[in-house]
Parts: sequence; C-alpha cells; structure tokens
Amino acid sequence: MPLVTVENLEKSFKDLRVIKGLNFQLENGKCVALIGANGAGKTTTLKMLSGLLRPTKGKISFAGEKQGGDHRRLIGYLPQHPVFHDWMTAREFLEYVGKLSGLPTKKAKERSAELLELVGIADAKNRRIGKFSGGMKQRLGIAQAIIHRPKLIMLDEPVSALDPFGRREVLELLEKLKKEATVLFSTHILNDAEEVCESILFLHNGEIIESGTMDEFREKYHQSKIDLVFSQEASSFLKTLSKHQQIDSIQMEGNKASIYTENLKAVKEVILTLAAKENWPLNKYEIGSISLEDVFMKVVQK
Amino acid sequence: MKQWFTLLNKEFLEMARNYKWIWMPITFILLGVMDPLTTYYLPEILNSVGGLPEGAIFEMPEPSAQEVFIMSLGQYQMIGILIIALSMMATVAGERKSGVAQLILVKPVSYFSYITSKWAAALILIVVSLFLGMLASWYYTGVLFEFIPFGTFMESFGLYSLWLILVLSFVILCSAMFMQPVAAGMVALVTVFISTIIGGSFQHLLEWSPTQLLPYVSERLITEKWPEHVWPATGITLTMTVLFVLLAIYIFKRKELAD
Repeated sequence: MPLVTVENLEKSFKDLRVIKGLNFQLENGKCVALIGANGAGKTTTLKMLSGLLRPTKGKISFAGEKQGGDHRRLIGYLPQHPVFHDWMTAREFLEYVGKLSGLPTKKAKERSAELLELVGIADAKNRRIGKFSGGMKQRLGIAQAIIHRPKLIMLDEPVSALDPFGRREVLELLEKLKKEATVLFSTHILNDAEEVCESILFLHNGEIIESGTMDEFREKYHQSKIDLVFSQEASSFLKTLSKHQQIDSIQMEGNKASIYTENLKAVKEVILTLAAKENWPLNKYEIGSISLEDVFMKVVQK
Repeated sequence: MKQWFTLLNKEFLEMARNYKWIWMPITFILLGVMDPLTTYYLPEILNSVGGLPEGAIFEMPEPSAQEVFIMSLGQYQMIGILIIALSMMATVAGERKSGVAQLILVKPVSYFSYITSKWAAALILIVVSLFLGMLASWYYTGVLFEFIPFGTFMESFGLYSLWLILVLSFVILCSAMFMQPVAAGMVALVTVFISTIIGGSFQHLLEWSPTQLLPYVSERLITEKWPEHVWPATGITLTMTVLFVLLAIYIFKRKELAD
C-alpha cells in the first residue's frame, strides 16, 4: 500500500514550468532516491511534498488522510541548507521543535537527548548553533527532521555538503531510518542512491524520465561494459571496432574508452584478438556491469 | 494552546538573548525623564553655556506639570515609534528571509499561533517598557514640578499604549507582507508618520481616527475632562489592531514560504 500518491503534479513560477506533471507513489517503509542534475526540479518537488510550496496543478495524497488536509505531522523535512535560530543551543532547538511537533515537554527532552547521541553531536549540545560547522548543522538538521517519528522523511541533498566521513555516517543513519519510515532523498551523487535505496526516480527538466528499482534497471539496461585505458589517444585504435555489429556504443574520452554491448562474449573475443594483432598499448582492461551513472547518462541522452 | 506558549517562550528567550529586555526599557525610561529634566534645568543650562546677553529680558513661562508630561509623550510619538518599527520589523520577515521559518513551519505549527505569539511577546515588551518610561516621566515631573494624580497618569498610559499597540500590529503586518525586513520597517514608519500628519492637519474631520488618541490624552490631562470623541476613537483603534493581526495571519498563510 503506497504511503504517498502523487498525481499530475505541476509547478510554475510565473511563466516558467519547473515541474511538468509528475506521477509516482512512495511505498511504505521503502527508501526512494530522487536523482537529477542541478535544476532538474528535485528541491521544488520536495518542497511541494512538504507543503512549503503549493502545487500549480495536481494532487498529493497521503494514505488514510483527507485530501488537501494538513499532512505536516507525518513529514520530516531537511532543507538543502538548513538554517536554525543561531542564538539557541542544539539541545534547546531540538526540544523546541519537538514540543512544536506535539511532544510533551518530558518526551521532547528525552527524544532530543537520544537524537543528539544518534547523530553524533551530543558533545556540542550546549553550544550555540551559530558556532556550529556545516557538518554539525547537517546532523542537527537530520535530528530535527525525525524528532516526531514522521512516516515520511524527506532529505534534500543530505550528503552533498559533507566530507567523506560525514557522508559515510549519514548514509549509515539513512539505513537505520529506513526501518522506521519511508525515506525520500534527493541527490546528484549516484553512488549514494545506489547504496541505500531500493527505488529510484530520475528527474530531468521537471519530468520523471525513468523510475524503478535498481534490479529493474539492471534488467532493462542489461548491457555489459568493457573499460579500456590506453597509454595513448584511444580513438586511433577503435576505428575498426566501432563498425562491429554487436557493439551498441563506444564512449571515448582521451585515453579511456568504454564499450557497451549486449553480447559480452563475442565482443570480448574481438577486442582481445584485435589487441593482440595490432599490439595495443593497453594499461587497463576491465569488464564491468552497468552502474547507475551509466543508466543516468543513457536516460538523459534519450 | 501548549504550542502557543512554546512559541511565546521562544520569543521571550530570543528577546532576552539579544538584550531587548534590557535596552528597550532603558531607552523608554531615558526618553521619559529627558523632558522633565531639561525643562526644569533650562535656565541653568542657558547660564552655563554663557547666559543671555546683558540687558536682555527673557521671561520664561513656567510650564505646568501636565505640559511637561505631554512633552514626554511627544518623545514616544517620534523616537518610540521609530524604536518599535526597527526592533520588530524583522520578527516575521527576518525568519522568512533567513530560511528558519521553513524548518519551523514544516512542523505542524498553526499559522495563527506563529503570528499571534510573536505579536503577544512584542506587545508585552513594549507595554512594559512604555509603562516604566511613563512612570519615570511621571515621577520626575512630580518631583521637579507638581504631581499629576496617579489615576490620571494611569488613564493616559492606558489610552496611549493602545496607540502604540496599533503601531506594533501594523509593523507586524508589514513584516508578514514583505520578505525584506528593511522594506517592512520603512513602509511601516512612513505610513504611521504620514497618517499622524494627516490626522493632525484634519483634526475636525478625523475625530475618530486612532491618530487622535495622543491629542485626546493631552486634552484630558489639561482640561481634566474626557474629550467628546475619545471612546469611538478607542473602539476604532482596538478594531484596527485586531484586523491588522488577522490580516497578517491571512497574508502569511497565503505566502509560499520557500522561493
């Protein structure tokens, strides 16, 4: 049973149509990644779901809720650049937000202490937020989003601003959150999506151009990929190869080349024979399966 | 209701953290004692800066206690209003501009509570500051000139505070209307000053206007009688206050918080 159903969602700013009719569902207890380039409409979509922006057209309905009602208690939202009351301490802010979400004072205190521990800023709980680093603010942002145990947690680019350690920790945190709620997060880092999410929505120019689970993508774009790295310009060696029937496409970039095919066995042989015959100056030869990044490039090019 | 008090508490805490609870009352007290002191010591002040030229005859009329007290109210009318606008113009606009409002209003917070808690906190701060300021003015006027009956003082405080509450409500309305705190403050100030000028120029036409409350307070102090139109003017002031607050909530609700 889907938690959220979005139908024909549109948003225009003046004459500019930013979101052009989205249709999707968010299943209960699943993690969904909203992927798209900068300006694809990810933030606008999340803001409409959170109620901060009003859709120009279309419907957003929550399971078991009245259409057009106030869904805010079901939602936890972390904006891309969270801003807090700088004069408050982290603990004060969490308790404040907890009480605003309807927790009794005692509960709000307990839950704040628990979350400060969970996101790893318990040491700084009595410091003014104005003195926090970007990473600490991001963690506090996640804590405030989940304080009232919402059914839908929406995070706008939660890891983009973090260093590798912070990124790792937040991704692990997302794994934990998945057990309690539906998670929807936007990102342009495809690896992160691949790591934590089952389902993916590709957003491009305000439209969903592809959606599905990671397995479905592998099935659909079940090409194999052969990566070659030469010690010279790659293009001079691959002229004859590009005419081969079994090869779908070749991408070249300086000394590197990626060859896509659905018939790995045949192409592999051809390449190896050619390489031996023409004495290619190969530095690397690798067979890999297609990654989300490749799918992304493919669907965007379509 | 619990949520409303949570929001009110936050406003009070913020006012304490940025020292509004200290400098607002102090400013209002200074404004209040300035006129009684300078009026009383004017001859000495003139002497100390060289005095009057030999032979010049300068008859200084001794002002009455009421006149001195009314001069203090004139300070609030200019500088007091300026302080109210400058200190409260960012109350909504600033939170919207910085983006913290997004974090707060994505929680199930009622828009009514959000605006009215800010209004109530500002109202309490301003009324307390005004009371302390006017009390100081009343005391110094009493010591240096003559004591105005305390009941009359309380009446003038009550009536005049209604006018400043209306000004505050308008500032909050502007703050909900504009994203830029400075724009909100400017629009509020210009509107209030223009309407007091219009109110002063067409007194006989605008007898029920809230801008007449200060002239009515003065009249009451001097003649010791209630002016004829004071109660309709009070009623209109209260009605407009409520309307401004409701309008602020309505506008704020309709605005999209994100941009």
